[in-house]
Amino acid sequence: MNDLTVVIVDDHSIFRSGLRSELDPALRVLGEAATVDEAIAVVVATQPRVVLLDVHLPGGTGGGGAEVIRAAAPLAPSTLFLALSVSDAADDVVTVIRAGARGYITKSASGAEVSEAARRVAGGDAVFSPRLAGFVLDAFGAVAGETAATTDELDRLSAREQEVMRLIARGYAYKEVASALFISPKTVETHVSAVLRKLQLSSRHELTAWATARKLL
Amino acid sequence: MTDLRPTDTRFTGHLVRPRLRIVAGVCAGFARHSGLPVTFVRTVTFVLALCGGAGVLLYGWLWATTPDESADGAAGSAPRRDLLPKAALTGSTVTLPDARTPPGAPSAGATSGPAVGTAGPEAEAGSAEPRRAPVTEILLGLALVGTAGALIANRLGADLPLDAIIPAIVALAGTGLAWRQFAELRSGAGPRSSGMLVRALGALVLVALGILLFFVTSENPNVWTVVVAAMSVLVGVAVVVAPWAVRLTRDLSDERAAREREAGRAEMAAHLHDSVLQTLALIQQKAGPHSDAARLARAQERDLRDWLFTGAANGPVDLAAELRGIATTVERDYAVHVDVVAVGSVDREVPEALLAAAREAILNAARHAGGSVSVYVESSPTAIEVSVTDRGPGFTIGDIPADRMGVRESILARMQRAGGTASVSPGPGGTGTEIRLSLPLDIQEDTP
Repeated sequence: MNDLTVVIVDDHSIFRSGLRSELDPALRVLGEAATVDEAIAVVVATQPRVVLLDVHLPGGTGGGGAEVIRAAAPLAPSTLFLALSVSDAADDVVTVIRAGARGYITKSASGAEVSEAARRVAGGDAVFSPRLAGFVLDAFGAVAGETAATTDELDRLSAREQEVMRLIARGYAYKEVASALFISPKTVETHVSAVLRKLQLSSRHELTAWATARKLL
Repeated sequence: MTDLRPTDTRFTGHLVRPRLRIVAGVCAGFARHSGLPVTFVRTVTFVLALCGGAGVLLYGWLWATTPDESADGAAGSAPRRDLLPKAALTGSTVTLPDARTPPGAPSAGATSGPAVGTAGPEAEAGSAEPRRAPVTEILLGLALVGTAGALIANRLGADLPLDAIIPAIVALAGTGLAWRQFAELRSGAGPRSSGMLVRALGALVLVALGILLFFVTSENPNVWTVVVAAMSVLVGVAVVVAPWAVRLTRDLSDERAAREREAGRAEMAAHLHDSVLQTLALIQQKAGPHSDAARLARAQERDLRDWLFTGAANGPVDLAAELRGIATTVERDYAVHVDVVAVGSVDREVPEALLAAAREAILNAARHAGGSVSVYVESSPTAIEVSVTDRGPGFTIGDIPADRMGVRESILARMQRAGGTASVSPGPGGTGTEIRLSLPLDIQEDTP
């Protein structure tokens, strides 16, 4: 099975069909869903490699995309989630990433960009938009000069991770980050995955402050 | 009413309690305020205290009504607070026009001073600041002075109907206290703390006690006096509580209205988010990233988003918002896609030079490179850094003809004048251009 299998979850049928027609032909769309309950059913039934998941979804208990991830992930162990949203709001990002999404891109991204992001997620990498990188720098106190002393520290970024995040926030692609820092693209991906892990596991209160303030988590 | 002019310069105007004090600074403050020797004031207070506790009552009242010297924030209420002790204690023969004048009009007291003799200082204070009429203080003052007077008279052997006077005084004091709480509540200055609740409850207890005493101490209690007493307590409590009840209902209706407005707004935001924003995202996706339709849709989306999610807060404009505004206008004029990522927050005025240089850099990228332009702002406590990255043909400072002022003058020289630096270097992966502006904030603070 060489094809990358995807499921598109979005409550707007126009958007689903639009995205479907724009996606790279190498991506095979297994199904679509419009609500939380539909999405869980489709993902569990088709076991796709990647789910393109809207953050805001009707149905379920009102938890949107994060609820889909929490409910479907245990039943579809090989499935990865890439969050799509019209919103760049910090609380949206935090909610889905902490629920387990491997990346976050905005809906205005072109079909090619979405395909590339899906492929990268399927390859085990994390997908960070510039805005997400900026948010990570903010939330981990990198601007205030906080730097992790050890590699296993969850609440702060290492100096290298900060450099990588800064360049991504500046709009650099992974390859460009690699050449700017004189490291291999694989190392960049390792750093990004490490940051994603911290984002998911860290207990820094800034990460959850937005979400809890709006009762999203 | 002869000594109305503030000729005595020893009068300090406001009666405040100084820092150097033995108990609460009341005597020292009063002595300084009136020009009397401190020792004399203290002795009088002590003697009065021996007269059935009258001095203690007076002391307590002044303590409660006189602001602390250190509390500068109470300056606005100081004139109101200090005038009454003075007037009541001296039988309003020595009054201070300047203390009665509202703080905003310092000259009014001096100019109208001689003429006040006919109108009377009370009228002046009442007409100048009707809302500040110290009714509560007058009530309190009357109650306490009356108590003190009654006690002294009783001690001196006068036969006063104390069983009627004392309850009345207690009730008066309670009402005064209660209404004073209300005044603080209404002005919004009073802290909504438990202390206030305690004081309010104390006022209620006082009123109830006073009314009860009135009936209990009277002769020949029978069923009717008990019934009337109960009714009186209820009425008294109602009078005291009325301001709170009014305030509470008004607050409730205000809050409900605000909630309804907020709910309506949230509903509309949710609806627009689900429909219009999605459609705009779709247009951008379908039309290709650099087409006119995508550009328009993007600008519209940004406008709508600003209005939906930040429309309520019209606070100080920060650097990120300014840059986003610039990005929107640039996107309208050029076929370009500007992404602004902001990290950190600036809690001070953004230097105009930095903004102007950043605008020039974005415009430059839009004019010469097009495509997508990334703007990254990092505001740390010590410096602001802005980088503008494009993926155009790229250029170096050396390539620019000497007569082209755009980059050299508008960006580099401008940043230098503002105390910062600017650099032009090749963009990511050696393509395009990256302009970095950085401004240390310490320098900015020295030369505001």
